[in-house]
Amino acid sequence: MADALRNRLRELRGDRDLTQAALAELVGVSRKTINTVENGVFVPSTTLALKLARALGRPVEEIFFLDN
Amino acid sequence: MTDTSDIETADRLSRKRARMIPVLAIIFLAGQAAYFSQDRAERLVDHVKIGAWLVWVLVLLALLETGGAFIQSKRVRALINDESTRANCQRAYVIGFWSAMGTGIGLYVVAMFEQVTAREAIHLIVTAAIAGALLMFGMLERRAHRDG
Repeated sequence: MADALRNRLRELRGDRDLTQAALAELVGVSRKTINTVENGVFVPSTTLALKLARALGRPVEEIFFLDN
Repeated sequence: MTDTSDIETADRLSRKRARMIPVLAIIFLAGQAAYFSQDRAERLVDHVKIGAWLVWVLVLLALLETGGAFIQSKRVRALINDESTRANCQRAYVIGFWSAMGTGIGLYVVAMFEQVTAREAIHLIVTAAIAGALLMFGMLERRAHRDG
């Protein structure tokens, strides 16, 4: 069975007082994409994961991690 | 970096598209019901109806493939059709494929008992594929916008 990818995007975005729209603006995607990543509906590409990490100033593995 | 107004415009248009696409799919399906409920003959009006169906099909395929918003800037179009939208579109294509397969298999069985013309079979398979893909895309997009 595939491991589920979890994330702390909402929490880390909140730490930086960023709205979904503001984070979307920083990484150049739609607000919907940020929303679906936060809700675990959509697994982002490596490129987007790295852009999110850069925008939040955190290592990517601090934002995304496997369920187990 | 992207303008906030571009993000807002893309968000608004994407929500509008998510609402519009299932409606288009239902109108498209309803039109086919009317097509098959009438006796078909080789009259001029029948050719017009077939032509109209073909135009519908091409427009809906273009909408699915490009995401629409043709009059918007390149940046807004890129935001509307970003990677989560493309992922939803890919999933919608899979449903379209299985809708076509299901309809094809159903027609194969029906053809054992009743004559089905090639045009009718193509019409039904293409209609099922497009409607299935559109409904799935609309559903996924609406879900993506929920709880936002």
